[in-house]
Amino acid sequence: MNPIAKMHKGSALYRISVLSVMALLIGVSASLAAIAFADSVIWLNNALLISPRMRVQYAGSPYVVLAATLFAPIAGGIIVGLLLQKFTNARRPLGPADVIVATQMRLPLPDARSGIVSTMAAALSIGFGASVGQYGPMVYLGALIGSAAEKLKLRIRSISAIAMACGVAAAISTAFNAPIAGLVFAHEVILRHYSLQAFAPVTVASATGYVIANVMFDRPPLFLVEFPGVANSHEFLLFAMLGVIAALIAKIYMRFLLRSAEIAKKLAIPQWVKPGLAGLAVGVTALWLPDVIGIGKEALRFATIEGAFTPTELLVLVAAKIILTAVCLGFGFAGGVFSPALLIGILSGALFWNLLDGFQLLENSGIVVYAVCGMMAVTSPVIGAPLTTILIVFELTRNYDLTVAAMVAVVFSNLVSYRIFGRSLFDIQLAAKGVDLSTGRDHARLAAISVAKFATTDFPAASPDEPAQAALDRCPREQWNEIYVAGNNGDFHGIMYKSERFNDPNALVADVTRPATVIFDEETNVKQAMEKFIGFVGTAAPLVASDGRLLGVVTEADIFRAYLDTVQELRNEENASA
Amino acid sequence: MKKTLRLSAPIIAACAAMSSAAGESIVVVSWGGSYEAAQRTAIFEPFAEYSGAMPAIRQHSGSVEEIRTRAEEESWDVIDMQEDHAITACEQGLLLDFDYRRIVSPYRDTRIEDDFVDGAFLDCAVAQNLYATVVAYNDSAFPGIKPSRINDFFDVENFPGMRALPKSPDAILEWALLAIGVPVRQVYDLLSTDRGLRLAFRKLDEIRDSIVWWTDISNAVRMLNDGSAAMASGFNGRFFSASHDSGAPITIIWDGRIIGYEVWAIVASTDQAKLAKEFVEFATSPVQLAKLSEIIPYGPARNSALLRVGKNSVSGTPMNEHLPNAPHHKGRAIIRDSAWYSNTAGLRQRRFDAWLKTK
Repeated sequence: MNPIAKMHKGSALYRISVLSVMALLIGVSASLAAIAFADSVIWLNNALLISPRMRVQYAGSPYVVLAATLFAPIAGGIIVGLLLQKFTNARRPLGPADVIVATQMRLPLPDARSGIVSTMAAALSIGFGASVGQYGPMVYLGALIGSAAEKLKLRIRSISAIAMACGVAAAISTAFNAPIAGLVFAHEVILRHYSLQAFAPVTVASATGYVIANVMFDRPPLFLVEFPGVANSHEFLLFAMLGVIAALIAKIYMRFLLRSAEIAKKLAIPQWVKPGLAGLAVGVTALWLPDVIGIGKEALRFATIEGAFTPTELLVLVAAKIILTAVCLGFGFAGGVFSPALLIGILSGALFWNLLDGFQLLENSGIVVYAVCGMMAVTSPVIGAPLTTILIVFELTRNYDLTVAAMVAVVFSNLVSYRIFGRSLFDIQLAAKGVDLSTGRDHARLAAISVAKFATTDFPAASPDEPAQAALDRCPREQWNEIYVAGNNGDFHGIMYKSERFNDPNALVADVTRPATVIFDEETNVKQAMEKFIGFVGTAAPLVASDGRLLGVVTEADIFRAYLDTVQELRNEENASA
Repeated sequence: MKKTLRLSAPIIAACAAMSSAAGESIVVVSWGGSYEAAQRTAIFEPFAEYSGAMPAIRQHSGSVEEIRTRAEEESWDVIDMQEDHAITACEQGLLLDFDYRRIVSPYRDTRIEDDFVDGAFLDCAVAQNLYATVVAYNDSAFPGIKPSRINDFFDVENFPGMRALPKSPDAILEWALLAIGVPVRQVYDLLSTDRGLRLAFRKLDEIRDSIVWWTDISNAVRMLNDGSAAMASGFNGRFFSASHDSGAPITIIWDGRIIGYEVWAIVASTDQAKLAKEFVEFATSPVQLAKLSEIIPYGPARNSALLRVGKNSVSGTPMNEHLPNAPHHKGRAIIRDSAWYSNTAGLRQRRFDAWLKTK
């Protein structure tokens, strides 16, 4: 413990000042890092002729543009593949899901070097034109900066999670120029609870990010649109309908993302070649559909202009963007799912409006509101953050009418998507890795605790071929109702109950051994143990290895204690004030 | 402060007079009209006094091609041109490559890079003033509600009348996208795509039947005056001169103004490079720049000059308020991306010509 922490341990003043200063420092660093990330992407996009503004200036030399379109994504893929394979321990890009695991399960983030390399890989991926997003890597970068706080040994409860949330909030706040959304995102997606102890520093960090983006660097709002207001009340029904359709599109998008990763895994080629293949797909597609390359800020704007796209173009682009993003991320480019979701969503919203307006069934207020509703309604279920998305609309467009409309679409989209898919892509990815957050943080945390931790070897044991009475006499201890029967080689045979009546005084243990109703193995976690203990009568359950050996027993009391401790810890975290 | 500066001019003049043979004269190429007249008072005549010889003045119409065809024959030395043209001409080797640090003199101890506007120094040119390409209208054409936004230029229903434009894709494409609702920051990004160009020309279709073309910048004012156009595009300084000096009923719509840099460059074929450089140094000094801005409202490209801009000596009008970079102008302002302009000139012209042919 460092001397200052020792001196002031337990004082509220100490905690408040440390948390505030920490939030400020993390806010500044995460914000500057996010700006550096975004600027290096822009620089690369310009240097490699990915951005249309540079491409058009080389229109006189079409072969240069052609070469850039084809080879930049391929080269980027190979560089990213090599970086991730050679210089990270995880051998994969890190993202928001890793931050969620770290904060929810109270685990450290993967090592810093992997984090930095992964961030660089993401900047290169987007910079070289891959169809991936930039906000996921920024979230990770923010958390990585925040995670440094833990090393200071400040002795404040949950400081590691709070510090990571601060970094995330500052990164989002800077990236979108949206401090409220940054604050809410950190709570809704990362911390998943609201406590004053976390709320205050995260707010400080988020505001710091905003000040840096806005005051020091004068970053303009990202997505200004002109929208005078919703003209007809029946349109709110249309927004809800669009929300439902958006949920289906989001589901397709997420399914493709997961599926593509599975396909890539099965391919028998070196790991580092795979992103290069994805790059090839991007390059070839971009020759016909230049809108798919890179982040697509231009397409995002065009989607809000009536007549910029024909309905067919919109359909083709939505499909192309879904497939290419799935291929890029599945085959190992580093990057996020958020920006592509924004683009897929806004194009879908524009398509919805085109069909609506084309048939002239109902009066409508123009393309802008449908495009924005679609954008947010597809994005929200992907990141599992309805509140954040609603606030992002508000802060990006600074338009109240648009926000209310988007709110309706987002809520319906989330409702449907939760039923047909799950809370978010992150949660589904984590569930596949054994971290199931769908039934609450307490369950996930219990699921991470192995019962083997509580196993004791100090229990009454008997061998099957000894006399039952001898075994009973040997185990007089009051608190045990069972004797655990194991062979000479350690094989578990079953349980002999002390209450068992036997008439034959020469009966052997084997004669009165009954199969155990509850058996744990090395993989059993506390959550499963709790479920198995329902209706259990007895003191402890045997812990049996996969080869059949009895390793020890786990008492019901220990499992209860673990449950109570975990729940108490969560309650403390959620109710913590400064 | 003023005193020291007043003193400094003759000192420089004395040095210059020693260095260059008195009586030698250079050929300066400018744009004619009220702009050139203002330059005559603010720069050319003082330079004559300072160097001992009045520069000979020629006019050009702004195309890069003219430098190729006329410069050598007419022994041009210094040329007043738009930044994007200077970039193109420099790339084609038509202009003298120079190091601005050896030409421009600093104001007191301010670094010249801090004194001049961002991006003021090119390989072959140095920024001298900022002008705005704007739309102006004849007040009497709109007795009721006046046009106030660039969107109104494309609204022939509410603001009927002919629109006078140069036969060029410059400025009008930016305005078309602004009128569609594209934010200032994204205008050039979108114009860089085929889709963006299509949208801009589609907007232009809406006023196709109301366009009259002008070929010479001075026609813009004339057409507004004689009623052959209700609105016209042109440079803010010319419109100001017309209404301010001649009392023409012309009002500028500041929304959608496109701010560009006007630069000084030296022609590659010059045989008087030394004197030409002295001229550029003189013409970009704070005193001369401010003096020009007091006659015609083009904003000086250096801060030390901007601070000196006072009232028009004839009418007493405070000229600061009429500069394109005056802070109180409302509405949207685009800073012209000159490199983009220069590199896309051919493409935009081709698309524009194709649009002219479709009907």
